[in-house]
Amino acid sequence: MNPNLAIKIAVPLVGLSVALVALAVGWFFISAWWSQPPAILGFSEGPEQPVAFPHTVHVQQAGLDCQFCHRTVSTDEAATVPAVEQCLFCHDFGKIDGTLSSDPDAAAEIQKVRDAFYGSESRAAGAIDWARVHRLPDHVQFVHQPHIAAGVSCSTCHGDVASMEVVKQVRNLKMRDCVDCHRDLNAPTDCTTCHY
Amino acid sequence: MALTRRQFLKWAGATGVGAVVFNGCSVPDEEIRVQSPLELPEDLVTGRDNYYATVSPADGEGLLVRVMEGRAKKVEGNPDYPVNAGKHGVRTEGLLQALYHPDRVKQPLTRIAPKVGPFRRMGWPEGLDALKATLEAAEPGSALIVTPPLRGAVAGVVRSFANAYGARVAAFEPLDQAPLRRAIADVFGQQALPDFDISRANYILSFGADFLGTWVAPTRFMRGYGEFRQGRRERGRLVQVETRMSPTAAVADEWVYVNPGTEGHLAMAMAYVIIEEGVPSGGTDRAYTGGGGLGQIADYRPGAVAGAVGLPAERIVELARAFADPSHAPALAIGGGSAGAYSNGAANLRAIYALNHLVGAANRPGGVVYNPAPEGEQVKALSLREWKEELARMRSGETKVALIKDANLLYGLPAELDAAGALRNVETVVSFSAFVDETAAAADTILPGHTPLEEWGSDAPNPGPGYRTVGYQQPVVRRFRDTMAFGDVLLQVGAQLGLEGLPGATMREVVRAEARASHETGRGSVRAPTFEEFWKRALERGGWWDTSVVARSTGPVRQVARSVAAPAFSGDARRYPFHLVPFEANALGAGQLAHVPWLQSMPDPMTTVAWSSWVELNPQTAKRMDLAQQDVVLVEAANGRFIRVPVYLNPATPPDVAAVPFGQGHTQFTSFAAGRGANPFDILAPSEERDTGALAWAGTRVRVTKTNRRAKLPSLEGPDPAVQLDDQPIIYIQRPNGGNGAAH
Amino acid sequence: MVTTPDLDRDLNKRPPARSWGMVVDLDRCTGCQACVIACNAENYIPINEESHYHEGRVMSWIRVERYWEGEFPNVKARFIPLMCQHCENAPCEPVCPVYATYHNNEGLNVQVYNRCVGTRYCANNCPYHARSFNYWEPVWPEDLRHQLNPDVTVRSRGVMEKCTMCVQRIRRATRGRDNVPDGEFAPACVQACPTQTLTFGDLNDHSSRVYELSHDERNYTVLKSLGTAPNVTYLKKVED
Repeated sequence: MNPNLAIKIAVPLVGLSVALVALAVGWFFISAWWSQPPAILGFSEGPEQPVAFPHTVHVQQAGLDCQFCHRTVSTDEAATVPAVEQCLFCHDFGKIDGTLSSDPDAAAEIQKVRDAFYGSESRAAGAIDWARVHRLPDHVQFVHQPHIAAGVSCSTCHGDVASMEVVKQVRNLKMRDCVDCHRDLNAPTDCTTCHY
Repeated sequence: MALTRRQFLKWAGATGVGAVVFNGCSVPDEEIRVQSPLELPEDLVTGRDNYYATVSPADGEGLLVRVMEGRAKKVEGNPDYPVNAGKHGVRTEGLLQALYHPDRVKQPLTRIAPKVGPFRRMGWPEGLDALKATLEAAEPGSALIVTPPLRGAVAGVVRSFANAYGARVAAFEPLDQAPLRRAIADVFGQQALPDFDISRANYILSFGADFLGTWVAPTRFMRGYGEFRQGRRERGRLVQVETRMSPTAAVADEWVYVNPGTEGHLAMAMAYVIIEEGVPSGGTDRAYTGGGGLGQIADYRPGAVAGAVGLPAERIVELARAFADPSHAPALAIGGGSAGAYSNGAANLRAIYALNHLVGAANRPGGVVYNPAPEGEQVKALSLREWKEELARMRSGETKVALIKDANLLYGLPAELDAAGALRNVETVVSFSAFVDETAAAADTILPGHTPLEEWGSDAPNPGPGYRTVGYQQPVVRRFRDTMAFGDVLLQVGAQLGLEGLPGATMREVVRAEARASHETGRGSVRAPTFEEFWKRALERGGWWDTSVVARSTGPVRQVARSVAAPAFSGDARRYPFHLVPFEANALGAGQLAHVPWLQSMPDPMTTVAWSSWVELNPQTAKRMDLAQQDVVLVEAANGRFIRVPVYLNPATPPDVAAVPFGQGHTQFTSFAAGRGANPFDILAPSEERDTGALAWAGTRVRVTKTNRRAKLPSLEGPDPAVQLDDQPIIYIQRPNGGNGAAH
Repeated sequence: MVTTPDLDRDLNKRPPARSWGMVVDLDRCTGCQACVIACNAENYIPINEESHYHEGRVMSWIRVERYWEGEFPNVKARFIPLMCQHCENAPCEPVCPVYATYHNNEGLNVQVYNRCVGTRYCANNCPYHARSFNYWEPVWPEDLRHQLNPDVTVRSRGVMEKCTMCVQRIRRATRGRDNVPDGEFAPACVQACPTQTLTFGDLNDHSSRVYELSHDERNYTVLKSLGTAPNVTYLKKVED
């Protein structure tokens, strides 16, 4: 083979692949910046939780409403994650202990919740340190109450949590996302609505 | 196994650039508000705040603390609590920073070898065992428990432990209020400090007491002061007699400077004038004359004391007439602070408080309102005289074990007494402080205590609001460090030692037992059918108070102010021409709060200086001595001790006064306090008030010498004391008689 | 597609507004600094270290100034608490090149931290010296961070900040409610002030205490000649 020809083919090939890689990285970075990182390489996945809490079981099978646990969503800033004790209202005294579940880990996960409340050899009684899924920058003060009062449903921002085994963020929740919606719905757009 | 984002980032991080690129993709993980892990309570509702009611035993203020996710966020006044009614002072907010202070003692510490070497960490079981062993080995009577003055549940615990074990209890307060307590007991026959009904008084004459800044219960007094000025139709009038212009003197309608130590003479002379011109409410002149006629106090005719006091006789007459003027009723006389801190302090205060009898202000609305005798134990401060004896016992080796909780002897006793040397002769010194202050640094073992927001307790505020009041202190957050409440340590170790008569097994139990007694009265602000309900509601409310329990009336007025001796000063007036007027710092107190960064950074109201010490000198005097602003001077007492401080040219300082704030000059006590400013206790002569033996902290004379150094004062106003521009003032003045306009 | 911000539409969409204001009674103030520390805790103002004082870079949303007049024995010291005056006609607003400070429909002079680029023009133009600039990253000793208020935004280095009249408390108290009783809530400084020097409320509510005091005969405006029309006014000190 003519070495010149090899170079003629190789240079554009290498150049092309470098450009492609750069393009891919660039696309990744820009889309991440602009909205959310694409769902590859483990990005945009929900974080691992200290207790594998399945929303699927609680919402789809048990038929619980969001507000059954996230009690202050219609009155407060935060929807709130309930106190451990509230889990035990259903999961204590052998009432629902996970042994009937098809998931072999269910009983072990529920035991973790009991341990959190009563304490165990490996840990003192105390709150479960849930990993945060939806996190806004520190300079944003998001308040749930007016959104619920205006009739915005939970799934508008949080997606179909009912079908998520592990909760993850589905909407990018960047400022443009918020403001577009506020404009469309004639909601306040004064800066101090969110920034203070 | 699925690739998680975290793993991917780790790999990407290995390539360097990856970390930078991908970290930009999401909300940063490291934000200032994101908090480090903490032991969280199991009833935590993430994202929700709660308010817990508690009290600050040091200030007697009822508080609401906002707690979110197991962390205390803000201290607010408890609007229900009768003492402070929803307000709080500058010091109270510091509880938050004390709680989360980075230099807290994080676990029990002990010396690697007796009396020497650095501390090593140990666990609580080891610490408690060691304490028990020490106490078992010590001979009866050789142990000493040192605390600040205590009230409420912890006072009962300390007393019963000390009684059962056979230890002495010695409370330490740097600026001892003994002369005030003595005068109140003598003049009004009251054991508890009375409340001053400032909001309803029409005319207030205050001697030496900076009651709107630092004295006794400033938050409560300020609450009344607002009403006194503008909360009603008639604006009250305030006259402040003081040797330094404190914030109280600054806002007074008249500030009267008298020669230090002659406050009592002025009060006597005023009494003379009032009695001579006819006492409005008959018979009360007995407080001065004992019924023996004016001749009894003839030595105090205005003309006779005018020279000593440093006021013209006419001015004294004028002050007396204004005070007794029926159109000024109800009038109120208050004394304290420096007026009680001379060799003749108690006599001064007696002469001052007895003025209330002359105008019928004793136990009247708008006057001195008596408080019921406090229920439960109290641990009152020992006087300087008694402390000298305690130090002698330490030095002789008679005291073998000292358990010291928060009382900083090595900082607050005059350095001349060499408390450090005395403490070195005590075999075992155990400190229970949450911070390593000077005294804790000299201890053999530190078993760190909780800060007030973490512990159980109760408080009987002194002064109370005029009726029985109990405040309940509850932990608003879980303990932040591996600490244990002092009361709990005593109860636990006491039980292990088999002591009898301890009031409970834990502080919580002791407080509950106290609350049970309140519940059983069936009266008061919280009433409930069951005790559990009472307990819950009393904790929510922050306390329990019963307006039906008021002070007993006392007998007829006795002769309490017949004479006042001339003040004795340490140091000869010619060689030591300045009166040293030390004063409690607005935020730092007498040094107990110097470790709190917020309080360190709070500008002093009068000088706007923060983080520092200074000496206030009269500008004319300074000029004569060739001293300029921020020149460093030596302030030297007759005992040869001196401090180095920069000069603040204070236009309100009298020519022969050198005023220095307490609070700074720590050698230990966290990185925020150590090595900052100067400590006036270092130079104070350990002279005593005659009647009570209390430290006469205003009775030292000093000389001021220039050094060739200058120091920059960290102040809000910049290097020069701020004055307003004549043509563009920002503070406008209204003058009732016509002169309405800008200040000039 | 990028939508162009329709600034006029956003700013003109004003619901029937409240006008938050404050009145400071100088005859009550004793200079005790309780307001300052309450503000520090609520809004986590960085700790003003000693060097910050030396450099004149002390951060404080509210401060108590003290002015001397005369010399001993005829001497006076007077106190005045000063904070952002929330001017209707604010000198800081027109000079900001990025609209980071503006007046909202509730009478508040607003500082939008995430818009601020740190030119400091506003601070230079403020006659009340009410604005503080973050010259440093806000660094807190690790443990002290537990205290920081989650309702308030972190201000990073290079950003201007100032009194917000505790807008986080306003938002919380007025959320979903048209009628908030006068005095039901207050900014941290007002809440703490033991002498009740500070009064806060809605100036458009003619039954409010703050409205009454703003029409008191002692009421005046600091530096009135500048025509800033502040929402914070003062009551003259009374002396004879």
